[in-house]
Amino acid sequence: MLKINNLCAKVGDNEILKGLNLEVKPGELHAIMGPNGSGKSTLAAVLAGRDSYEVTGGTVDLDGVNLLDLEASDRAREGVFLAFQYPIEIPGVSNLNFMKAALNGKRAHKGQEPIKAKDFLAKVKECSSLVELDGRLRDRSVNEGFSGGEKKRNEIFQMAMLEPKLAILDETDSGLDIDALRVVSKGVNAMRSSERSFIVITHYQRLLEHIVPDFVHVLSNGKIVKSGGKELALELEEKGYDWLKEPSHDTSNV
Amino acid sequence: MSVFTDKFSATLPPPTRKSERWKYSPIAKLLNNEVSISTEAAQGMNGWPESVLPNPVLSLDAYLVVFKNGVFEPTLSDLPVSDGVDCIPFSKMDPSASLDFSNGYHQKEWIGELNETYRQDGLCLHVHRNVKVDRPIVIHHLTDGLNVASFPKHLIKVDEGAELNVVVWSSASERSSGMYNGLLEASIGPNALLSLEKVCNEGGKVFHFSHEHIVQERDSKLKMHTFTIKGDWVRNELEIISRGKGTDSVFNGAYLPLGTEHIDNHTTMDHTSSDGTSSELYRGIMYGDSTGVFNGKVFVRPDAQKTNAFQQNTNIVADRGAAINTKPELEIYADDVKCAHGCTVGQFDLDALFYLKSRGIDEKAAKALLVEAFLGDVLSSVSSTELSEEIMNLYTERHGW
Ligand SMILES: Nc1ncnc2c1ncn2[C@@H]1O[C@H](COP(=O)(O)OP(=O)(O)OP(=O)(O)O)[C@@H](O)[C@H]1O
Ligand SMILES: [Mg+2]
Repeated sequence: MLKINNLCAKVGDNEILKGLNLEVKPGELHAIMGPNGSGKSTLAAVLAGRDSYEVTGGTVDLDGVNLLDLEASDRAREGVFLAFQYPIEIPGVSNLNFMKAALNGKRAHKGQEPIKAKDFLAKVKECSSLVELDGRLRDRSVNEGFSGGEKKRNEIFQMAMLEPKLAILDETDSGLDIDALRVVSKGVNAMRSSERSFIVITHYQRLLEHIVPDFVHVLSNGKIVKSGGKELALELEEKGYDWLKEPSHDTSNV
Repeated sequence: MSVFTDKFSATLPPPTRKSERWKYSPIAKLLNNEVSISTEAAQGMNGWPESVLPNPVLSLDAYLVVFKNGVFEPTLSDLPVSDGVDCIPFSKMDPSASLDFSNGYHQKEWIGELNETYRQDGLCLHVHRNVKVDRPIVIHHLTDGLNVASFPKHLIKVDEGAELNVVVWSSASERSSGMYNGLLEASIGPNALLSLEKVCNEGGKVFHFSHEHIVQERDSKLKMHTFTIKGDWVRNELEIISRGKGTDSVFNGAYLPLGTEHIDNHTTMDHTSSDGTSSELYRGIMYGDSTGVFNGKVFVRPDAQKTNAFQQNTNIVADRGAAINTKPELEIYADDVKCAHGCTVGQFDLDALFYLKSRGIDEKAAKALLVEAFLGDVLSSVSSTELSEEIMNLYTERHGW
């Protein structure tokens, strides 16, 4: 499904991804762990098409489509979804209008008619109950005044609405209380299928008890430096990252 | 003769860049040409263009009063309006019955003197005590022709406890050029309400000047909106004087100029009496190579204790070639007052834009959502949804969202 080959990216003069390789097959769930500042969110943003990052090398292929050639909105229409580490507040744009525009954008891309109001509302109901998103939150402006945990739930609600092929969850567990973590994990697990793949970025092994990964990778200094099964997460919990870190050539990154 | 031409002559000098009030809005280009001024029903060039409809907001159930190139057009107007309201063009009324007040603008500014010298007509609108006018009154100015000028002046008096909604709309055909110089003076009696929407949607190359002067008596309320949908060169001047205790003045505006358009909003809020509140919100998005000016003066005089004045001007400069000059001017001479103000010039929020795009919304649609949100606070206080929807539709159509 997804093949990342030797991906390099920078911001300004700051090289962040330095030859990253990763392959994700349909239905697989890959966890990415790694120290702060190692490039996890950068990888997520580059995959989703944030243009403030300059891709300086490598390829990203999603089912035969070169993702790097596409605008962010077209990548989403091809089935990429990013749950943000820090979801954005957009005052004045209602959550529902936002989702309607998103769904219809995707449908137009597939040559489908805009969704009927009734079907849309039914879908909203189904997806918000999946993550127990309060009805009042749905009706408000996008993320405006949401608590940290509410924003994360809203991300998973959006994922459920958009039914992506590849979902990238960037620290969706951070800021969630214990119950919310369970609810959100349940939502993610409900969406797992043989056609849908996940990349789950997290710092905590705890999440991976709820959402069990097929593979765990360690990203350090812009590269995957270690890959393993779910037991790798336990090992990291115990030993930290020091034993894996590549000696850095860029002193500012130490 | 129904049209005469003239090169503007006035005793006051035309404003130049040396004057602070006109520094960023030069009018030199206007002064080169002679202009034609209609004195009788204007036919336009080869008949009136169909693109400029007599009724600007078809969905709005309103009384329509039409002026073509400054001349009243009885066949297109719905006069008289309901009981308790005198609503007659000056040209059709007994001068002794006419309202008569003037803020002396014609003695202060070249623009004002031109209006006084060349004035053709205008609406005299008097709402009697406690009368709540059943429908909005839409005053529509249509311009068509090369180097034409029109000089309306409207007087509005809303007596104690009365309520009135007026829309002053100006349109011009694409082939038009010249000047629109429109004055409006209003007085709002105790406990009365005036809602006033001013919309400029002019094609062609018309220099559009408008000057509104509004005096508020005790406990009266003003809700004013100034929308510039389209206009090659537009200057809106608004002066509000709170003359009695406990007045409430809300005045908002929006502008989204394209190409080389120029938009200037000069506002003055003068609190002379106590317990007044004022709230001003102007929002603009500058596209292409457009230029803009916002100048918002707020005076709080020594007797205006317990005034609460809010002012905000927020601008997005969407393209590299565009620019806006924004300046708040607060002069506060009373001590027990609350005043807040902020003027900002920024870009589209790139984080928000990326967030929307990452959900499959294309750039254009994402920007449209952000624009709609940005204008929402200005549009939501417009007196009717028919009007606010029409305004949003016109922006949408013009910008191709
Ligand atoms: N827009 C940017 N401008 C400058 N530097 C950036 C930018 N985005 C990321 N960086 C830098 O790139 C490096 C990687 O950042 P990134 O956010 O990808 O780390 P991360 O692995 O997600 O960290 P965390 O675990 O703290 O979320 C950091 O040193 C960061 O400061
Ligand atoms: Mg991160």
